[in-house]
Amino acid sequence: MTGDATTATAEGPTRLVGWRRAVSLLGSLQGYIGLVLVLAFGIVTRGGTFLSQSNLTNAVGAFASRGILAVGETLVILTAGIDLSVGSMLGLASMVSAMLLVNQNLPPWVILPACMLCGAVMGLANGIGTTWLRIQPFVMTLATLSVFRGIDRQLSDNVSVGTQVAGADGKLTGNADSFQLFGTPGHNLFTGVVGAGVYYPVLAFVVVCVVGQLALSQTRFGRHVYAVGGNEAAARLSGVNTDRVKIAVFTLCGLLAGFAGPIDAAYSASADPLAGTSYELDAIAAAVIGGASLAGGRGSIVGTFVGALILTLLDNVLGLNAVSDNLQLIIKGCIVVVAVVLQRPDLLRGAADFVRRVARRGAPASTGRSS
Amino acid sequence: MRGIGKSFPGVRALAGVRLDVHAGEVHALLGENGAGKSTLCNVLSGAFGSYEGSVELAGEPVALHSPGHARRLGIGMIHQELTLVPDMSVADNILLGAEPRTRLGRVDARRMRDRAATLLADVGLRLDPRQPVRQCRIAEQQLIELAKALSGDLRVLIMDEPTSALADAEVRRLFAVIRTLTARGVAVVYISHRLEELEEIADTVTVLRDGGYVGTRAMAGADRAELIGMMVGRPLGELYPRPASVAADAPVRLRAERLTLTGDTRTGRTALHDVDVHVRAGEIVGLAGLMGAGRTEVLESVYGAHGPRAVTGRVTLDGVPYRPRSPRWAIRHGLAMVAEDRKAQSLVLGNTVRFNASLAALARFRRYGRVDRRAEGRAVDEQVAALRVRTPGTQAVVGTLSGGNQQKVVLAKCLLTRPSVLLLDEPTRGVDVGAKAEIYAICHRLAEQGTAILMVSSELPELLALCDRIVVLCEGRVTAELDRAEATQERILTAAMARGTVLTRTAAGRTEEEVHDR
Amino acid sequence: MRLRTLASLAALVLAGAVPAGCASTASPTTGGGGSGGHFVVAYSQSNNAEPYRAQLNIQLQYFMKKYKDVTLLPIADAKQSSATQVSQVQQFVQRKVNALIVSPNEPAPLTAAVKQACQAKIPVVILDRSVNTDCYSAFIGGDNYVAGKKAGELAVKLLPNGGTVGELQGILSDQPQIDRDRGFRDAVKANPKIRISVHREAKWLKDDATRITGQWLAQGQHLDLVYAQNDPMALGAYLAASSAGKEKSMKFIGTDGLAIPDGGIRAVQQGQLAGTFIYPTCAKQAAETVNALLHHRKVAKKTTLDIVAVTPDNAAQMYRDNDFSKFR
Repeated sequence: MTGDATTATAEGPTRLVGWRRAVSLLGSLQGYIGLVLVLAFGIVTRGGTFLSQSNLTNAVGAFASRGILAVGETLVILTAGIDLSVGSMLGLASMVSAMLLVNQNLPPWVILPACMLCGAVMGLANGIGTTWLRIQPFVMTLATLSVFRGIDRQLSDNVSVGTQVAGADGKLTGNADSFQLFGTPGHNLFTGVVGAGVYYPVLAFVVVCVVGQLALSQTRFGRHVYAVGGNEAAARLSGVNTDRVKIAVFTLCGLLAGFAGPIDAAYSASADPLAGTSYELDAIAAAVIGGASLAGGRGSIVGTFVGALILTLLDNVLGLNAVSDNLQLIIKGCIVVVAVVLQRPDLLRGAADFVRRVARRGAPASTGRSS
Repeated sequence: MRGIGKSFPGVRALAGVRLDVHAGEVHALLGENGAGKSTLCNVLSGAFGSYEGSVELAGEPVALHSPGHARRLGIGMIHQELTLVPDMSVADNILLGAEPRTRLGRVDARRMRDRAATLLADVGLRLDPRQPVRQCRIAEQQLIELAKALSGDLRVLIMDEPTSALADAEVRRLFAVIRTLTARGVAVVYISHRLEELEEIADTVTVLRDGGYVGTRAMAGADRAELIGMMVGRPLGELYPRPASVAADAPVRLRAERLTLTGDTRTGRTALHDVDVHVRAGEIVGLAGLMGAGRTEVLESVYGAHGPRAVTGRVTLDGVPYRPRSPRWAIRHGLAMVAEDRKAQSLVLGNTVRFNASLAALARFRRYGRVDRRAEGRAVDEQVAALRVRTPGTQAVVGTLSGGNQQKVVLAKCLLTRPSVLLLDEPTRGVDVGAKAEIYAICHRLAEQGTAILMVSSELPELLALCDRIVVLCEGRVTAELDRAEATQERILTAAMARGTVLTRTAAGRTEEEVHDR
Repeated sequence: MRLRTLASLAALVLAGAVPAGCASTASPTTGGGGSGGHFVVAYSQSNNAEPYRAQLNIQLQYFMKKYKDVTLLPIADAKQSSATQVSQVQQFVQRKVNALIVSPNEPAPLTAAVKQACQAKIPVVILDRSVNTDCYSAFIGGDNYVAGKKAGELAVKLLPNGGTVGELQGILSDQPQIDRDRGFRDAVKANPKIRISVHREAKWLKDDATRITGQWLAQGQHLDLVYAQNDPMALGAYLAASSAGKEKSMKFIGTDGLAIPDGGIRAVQQGQLAGTFIYPTCAKQAAETVNALLHHRKVAKKTTLDIVAVTPDNAAQMYRDNDFSKFR
């Protein structure tokens, strides 16, 4: 808002209008520019390989579980909260899925809702802690990050659990075989019906994004999420049950982590007790690159989707070009800064103002008509 | 020091404005909201990095490029929105950025407290400098801001609506401080919408309209109608509408009996003791009192903003018992509230007009689990048009509108819930004269349609002109209830300052009756 | 808001339960003296969460049970933090345990703490990673260079006509990574037609290995063999290759050889890996050494254990020999 007030005065002569329009266009395209740059870089350097369906599937599939976490994280961030425990929730859910498969030999269609329920319960705990017990989200989820990881490790006894369970005949059991459809590389849904089939993690990620975006933009709940993040007092006085909204976003975040659990387990064909460690940082990064503000009230799922694509495709492009591991870290960090700056046209404008002022000071007599 | 001349050619928000302020003078800036007063002051205080035109200070041309730079030149500013850090102490806030240090480089806490205490005394505040600002009332915070501005070597002081949050008694105190400053040779640029205040304090007045310069007058020779004409660009016949009287037998819509609220020192919440208020359909009832008298708390208690447990007493709506549980509950029962602090409590500033206006009434637009955007848009457009909100469109960001238009968006939000009881807390604070008149007209119209309105205001003329009945509070108790015919500024103020009577608790009941009988 | 009351009640109960739980685990450790021929031994583990170390814990507990006059305190987990481990070791010294086993998280930070134990005349057995002092009683470890070298020798045997190799590395700064990498490269020099065409850091993680191998294959890299510095990474590479339909034309070599259902030995048995190498947990030797020290028998200052190769031929036997899951 200050930015807009600045516009009103600082921008003056008409010659600046064109430049301002260009800047605001840049701003409205936001994170897409980053995506376009990454895509362009990939196409120019590794054209055919980069664009091949299998490569894109690999790249998006590898990030899908984190992408789904990012969607839940975005909901929480929109209410000006943060959830640091998503990685641990994913780890626990992935362990639960593998153990239900290996120990109970349950079919996937039972495992998935069980994991989602498990995640939702964890998310509910976060929500209750942050609302009724009035613990700050950062602190509450920092605590549960540790609690959930501990439960995960206790359950697994620190041993990873493989999901490719062989029966007496040496072949995979029926349930283990269908569990692979959750995302073991090379196992696709609808093979034959739709060409080479659809890779479930990618499909799941896209569906979650579409549903999430529709819920945010079309429903009352979505409005309330933005209102709570934008101005909690105003939301409350407008009749929004702010506690309920916050509990709901934390629960949804947990539910999505539970949803992503089996994907993560199937992707590496085993549930590692450390699975999901530091995924919360990737999730937050995707949301922020996608335009979400940690102060709440600003952001979207579409943005997060683009942010997730930028992160994973950048990794893919750098990998395909055999960029050294150390350099990759540097580049990825810089991208976050660039992406965030691109969303802030006022920052660019501020820089332009500064440049103009310096230029003016260089030639003091030439400006400033006195009254 | 001679003064300041400046001009801004070719700027949309401000064009070709000139302003000469002399040492020891109070120079008022008048104009409707959006006229460019705040923008001009922000330029003078260095808030904007670049501007057109020139500024001279004591005859020397200066380029103002940052607030820090302006402060070093001796230009201090008190913003309309308070800029204190709530969790720091009063002393820390006053001397923020100018902390005295010991020879070892540590902050000298004792000197800091002493200096802060001196400055607080200068502005007539008796506060413990160690107390956190969060615990102070808005009026006190306003004066702390002033003390903060005084902490430097001050040559020009800019005040942007310093009295919008103050009750009359505090305004007097502020004026006394301003007079001591001008006696010391400080030039004061003063923005206010209250003409009667300007008549009292200002020496010269400059009127702006739509970012342009209209004219400068000596306050002594200026006549109110002329100034308003200059501001509005059209003559205003009657500033305040005359409401029609309500029949005494109209049904009571809202009744609160023995309303009691527990106080909270942490949030600075005033306790209420056995407050009785009732509002009839079509009636406008005013709540008067000084800061901290509990006026806001009465509205908030009825609205359920303090939750179900802090409030006791009996509340009925149209004779049916009603328990104020939460704002959500209140809205469902036909109550709506315009909160005291527009930016902190009413609006999601970063979001659109439409988002804000429909926020409380989304349930109305629900269709197949989704928000029916077309119905929503239609309803918002209608309300925006009816309230004459001046906005580029309903997709404009609310934070970019002027104060008066923001307030109208808040009103639109309330009206979209179709309330039968409207609670208004300082509905015209920080609103320009034109918009004020429009808001009065809206209240009047709503009352005619049968809405019960309970309204808090610090501007007595406003209450006197608009209300059918005025309830006066002091320290959480009702000290007077005055009919339209018997209410005068003097009687309201007497009741509002009836501290002695409420302090003697045993006699409280009788004293109240005496006040009634008068 | 009855629910809120319930929630706070639950929190209270939890808060009460935690100290109670701590008290109950702490009680058997108080009688730390060695009187009556009964010895108390403490073990400081660097990180319980690594499968290899979890396996080591299970085995150590199993072997220590065989000595009736020795009690092993609950294993202290430093959770990958050297600072935590230093304070744990110091606590054990304060408690005057009769002997101390340490798997150092990092050499340098643990050196001082080990010295303190040594000065308090507590025998210290160091496992796997060394410390920068001689003031300890025994060191038992495997040799990562040899582990890498044996993997290299297997690669030379699997590719008699030469070929291209991809190497998946652990965290680049980890000492085992450095040693295994060096050993592997030294060994494959035996056949100049073998070329390590790509190598990348997969941080010991299966997910990362899958992703990176996927990228290699998408790039059109032809790989005859993938050497991974641990089994999860080798299995990750196998997953990526099988998704590209290339798992039959490629060979995979891992390291670690844990006898768990999700481990390398099973994978060799199932034909996913061409071979893996059992990096010794040292648990049996550690238990023997500690017992000898407590009874004042002489022990070797430094023991380096052999690296055992797991091949499709001996995998079933190896799994049986190293499976401790029934003793958990």
